[in-house]
Amino acid sequence: MAQCVQSVQEFIQDSFVPLVAALCSEEAERLTRKNNLGFSELVKPFCRLTSEVHMRDPNNQLHVIKNLKIAVNNIITHSPQPGGIRKLLNDVVSVSQPTEGLVTNVITAGDYDLNISDRSVKASVPWYNNWKDTLMELNTSTFYSATTPWFESYRESFLQSMPASDHEFLNHYVACMLVVSSGEPEPVEQFLKLSQEQHRIQHSSEYAYPKWFIPNTLKYYVLLHDVSAGEEQRADSVYEEMKQRYGTQGCYLLKINSRGSNRGADEQIPDPWSQYLQKNSIQTQESYDDGPYTVISNKNADHLISDDLDNDIQDGLSNNFKAHPLQLDHLSDTSSSFDGTDYIKTTSSLHESKKTSSGTPHGACLTLTDHDRIRQFIQEFTFRGLLPHIEKTIRQLNDQLISRKGLSRSLFSATKKWFSGSKVPEKSINELKNTSGLLYPPEAPELQIRKMADLCFLVQHYELAYSCYHTAKKDFLNDQAMLYAAGALEMAAVSAFLQPGAPRPYPAHYMDTAIQTYRDICKNMVLAERCVLLSAEILKSQSKYSDAAALLIRLTSEDSDLRSALLLEQAAHCFINMKSPMVRKFAFHMILAGHRYSKAGQKKHALRCYSQAMQVYKGKGWSLAEDHINFTIGRQSFTLRQLDNAVSAFRHILINDSKQPAAQQGTFLREYLYVYKNVTQLSPDGPLPQLPLPYINNSATRVFFGHDRRPSEGEKQAATHISLDQEYDCESSHQWKELEEQVVAVVNKGIIPSNFQPTQYCLNSYSDNSKFPLAVVEEPVTVEVAFRNPLKVPLLLTDLSLLWKFQPKDFNAKHNGETKELACGNDMIGAEVIAEFLINSEETKMARLKLFPHQTGELHILGVVYNLGTIQGTMMLDGIDPSIGLQAGKFVYNGMSVRGRQELEIQGPRLNNTKEEKTSIKYGPDRRLDPIITEEMPLLEVFFINFPTGLLCGEIRKAYVEFVNVSKCPLTALKVVSKHPEFFTFELGQQFQLTNFFNQYSKTNSLFTNTKSQ
Amino acid sequence: MAVCIAVIAKENYPLYIQSITTENELKFHYTVHTSLDVVDEKISAMGKALVDQRELYLGLLYPTEDYKVYGYVTNSKVKFVMVADSSNTALRDNEIHSMFQKLHNSYIDVMCNPFYNPGDCIHSRAFDNMLTSMMMQVC
Repeated sequence: MAQCVQSVQEFIQDSFVPLVAALCSEEAERLTRKNNLGFSELVKPFCRLTSEVHMRDPNNQLHVIKNLKIAVNNIITHSPQPGGIRKLLNDVVSVSQPTEGLVTNVITAGDYDLNISDRSVKASVPWYNNWKDTLMELNTSTFYSATTPWFESYRESFLQSMPASDHEFLNHYVACMLVVSSGEPEPVEQFLKLSQEQHRIQHSSEYAYPKWFIPNTLKYYVLLHDVSAGEEQRADSVYEEMKQRYGTQGCYLLKINSRGSNRGADEQIPDPWSQYLQKNSIQTQESYDDGPYTVISNKNADHLISDDLDNDIQDGLSNNFKAHPLQLDHLSDTSSSFDGTDYIKTTSSLHESKKTSSGTPHGACLTLTDHDRIRQFIQEFTFRGLLPHIEKTIRQLNDQLISRKGLSRSLFSATKKWFSGSKVPEKSINELKNTSGLLYPPEAPELQIRKMADLCFLVQHYELAYSCYHTAKKDFLNDQAMLYAAGALEMAAVSAFLQPGAPRPYPAHYMDTAIQTYRDICKNMVLAERCVLLSAEILKSQSKYSDAAALLIRLTSEDSDLRSALLLEQAAHCFINMKSPMVRKFAFHMILAGHRYSKAGQKKHALRCYSQAMQVYKGKGWSLAEDHINFTIGRQSFTLRQLDNAVSAFRHILINDSKQPAAQQGTFLREYLYVYKNVTQLSPDGPLPQLPLPYINNSATRVFFGHDRRPSEGEKQAATHISLDQEYDCESSHQWKELEEQVVAVVNKGIIPSNFQPTQYCLNSYSDNSKFPLAVVEEPVTVEVAFRNPLKVPLLLTDLSLLWKFQPKDFNAKHNGETKELACGNDMIGAEVIAEFLINSEETKMARLKLFPHQTGELHILGVVYNLGTIQGTMMLDGIDPSIGLQAGKFVYNGMSVRGRQELEIQGPRLNNTKEEKTSIKYGPDRRLDPIITEEMPLLEVFFINFPTGLLCGEIRKAYVEFVNVSKCPLTALKVVSKHPEFFTFELGQQFQLTNFFNQYSKTNSLFTNTKSQ
Repeated sequence: MAVCIAVIAKENYPLYIQSITTENELKFHYTVHTSLDVVDEKISAMGKALVDQRELYLGLLYPTEDYKVYGYVTNSKVKFVMVADSSNTALRDNEIHSMFQKLHNSYIDVMCNPFYNPGDCIHSRAFDNMLTSMMMQVC
């Protein structure tokens, strides 16, 4: 389980606190509203007592209570709706997100480094606990590693929103505060009225809710005095009257609002309410939602409406607060699921109040003295009112019990005989599986002992509580009241744990039995969940992580995705916190949690879970799992509009050598294209994205300069060995190179010029590509790109063309100073576009793309640009010859295509000449794709006609050779070179020197070929 | 009898995973991966001195609802994980043990291949056939 900021003891103590109801008169409520707070909200930050309290237990022993906290709530007369609670919890979790950009925690487990969670500084989470010392503790403690604030706030809200049940009294109201303003005409009358109302709520059968601890609830009379508005004397006199009537212990004069509301916030006062603000707004909303059923909150709503005008003005000042994370939710809320006309009014005003409650500061009329007064008030109430009342009640209950014991001693002894073995509870539960047990009436004598135990527990008297719970448990089991027994077992375990000095080990089996009973017999998942949360936390504190994990996992079920997700995540954290961290189990449970989160609609949490799990699986070769996670991350990021993440996640699935089946790959690809399409739609002006598919075998790229040779027709045969269809032949190309060198040497009178470079029409990975090749203007440059489709689904590329950069240069002009860079411009370079290019699954296929330079300059071929798409699923199984599709263009691609590019980057050969190059790894340049476009040159085409295929020894045959100059440039000084000049003779008589003039016409010479015998 | 057999390298990346059905492959991968935690735990529990003379067969790693996962670790820390259908009650522990031994032998054969580069994924037809026969035996 993740580390929590609270200690376990603190957590459990705070989960069960004495509840005090508050009943305010309208006038009093108006006074507190000046501060933009209700009465219960007003006192909330001061509900923890800082000093120790003493009280006496029934045996007259002195008992010390430390750090007691009480809770003051408005009376809500309807039980919380399950739907409302679910929504509240959902909101709490979704609001609490790890803060981004903070230092992350790294847990090193074996060979894994895990970024578990962002170190969310608690102060940034608004409702985090108010006491500062825990914060200090957090900063200084060394053991905290990963926190999950969403879980803690979920747990807190969950425990607070639990509906009060009949089988336990922990969340029943112990006391009631009656609050009346001193400004009212008849404060004393008002007190009477409120007192009657409280009595009515508690005792008439109208209201089943809220639940009260004991019939005669403590009533505490509070006179609220507005210092800035009211008369002090009047308040004092009323207070005197109250003292006479209710005794000094039963009433209090609370002075607030020392600062007029019209005075600006010239001095900055700490705002202790802001920590509760957000949570309150969620919770009060819940209470307002069902307006007509409530007594008190309706009045609040009325006040809210009157407040609206002021708030609108204030809104202008506090615009920056308006980006309330919950606001959107509320907007959608108010429009849905309400039927009465009342509602619209209340909820709309509620919505307004939301806006303002997030915008206006709280406690604007309160000075620091007022804060102290409220603190003093709570302290006084607890010391003088609440605790003596509880003490008295415990004493009464104890007396009752003793007298009852006398009556039923025989029964108890029988019980004792029955349950002499400690294993008995489980056994008896198994026997009683089908009965959920009997239900006691609320004031049944059997419940008195439980009541006493609960009271003792609330005032931290755990020894007494434990013994009471223990007795109650036996009692209930004897009566086969399973729900009651489970409750007693649960609390017995907790109080055993909380006993100072730990006289007995934590009875985990009590908890297990309780959970099992709650879940299986009582079918009450909420109570079972509370049990699990408590027990897991306790086990965690005792380093029994595997037990805690097992407990948490056991409670995951189909009925609540959010709960399952949170519990699974906590279980995952348990695994990583074990003595030998179980990283893989952590990852697996994180994935399960992520899945549940996404089902519960918590997309951000889901994404976070998957990303954390990804750290474990990444790069370890678990490709199927990795693909699955990447796919989910991609999807979640997409729904959260984190498109870059989505694209990179999907890209990951596609580029790795995927072992997925074809159908799965097809899905991945479609999803990827869909996401990519969205990305490009968002930024249409951005540079074209780099596409991961298909692969390009860069080094297999071939470049061919010049026209396609006309195919040989009939007798005519092109006299060339170079074309793209021809495989590279090392030997013959070497021979040609030698011949070329010889003829150049002859022309230059025996010397080969130093800058000579043999003509290469076709460049490939074997040719010498270290120099810039020459291409001629108006002659095409053909680039052959080798595509490979790694997927098991066919890919369809449409509008495939080359991407290039061109710098025009005039080579005649001497000054090369001005060079313009142009990325596009069809007047300079014409590019051929292949409309459709289909690559079947796992196929390697060449695409030939042409460029037509129309100007001289430097051309750089950068890459290819295309639309990547898929074809319909049915088509890919047909095995259609791709060439048909290419020509007819009849492939119906399913509209899903994305324009993108891929670069062609060819790595040159490894250099191996100097010592430095030999010792390091260096690669030479490869200039295949950077031709220099020169001005027009003559272009000679030669054809043989009737060229003999076989000759007899000594035979002489006549063959024709046709020289054609296809270029506009005149061609002069044509030379013919042969390795064996003695084999050839020209009919015209010129032996080897043929000085002719060709210009756009062809001339046919006949050529004798003969073979001489040796 | 086995529904999935995996060979995991010392560094915990898969050398070979074969499962009987392809539709649940992902699930098996997760299962096998998660079981490595238990393998680690079992090895580290034995202590350093005993590691050399320990029993290679680790026994049942953990049972899930539908499957049982067994483990085996060679002296070079290569892990074999076998997932068996838990409905197959006829499967005895010593049978599993002998299956692992067979698996180990054929793994050694693969390692003896001079063209096999230790640490690479296993692509061997003989190994494939061996494993397929092991998975087919009863099913």
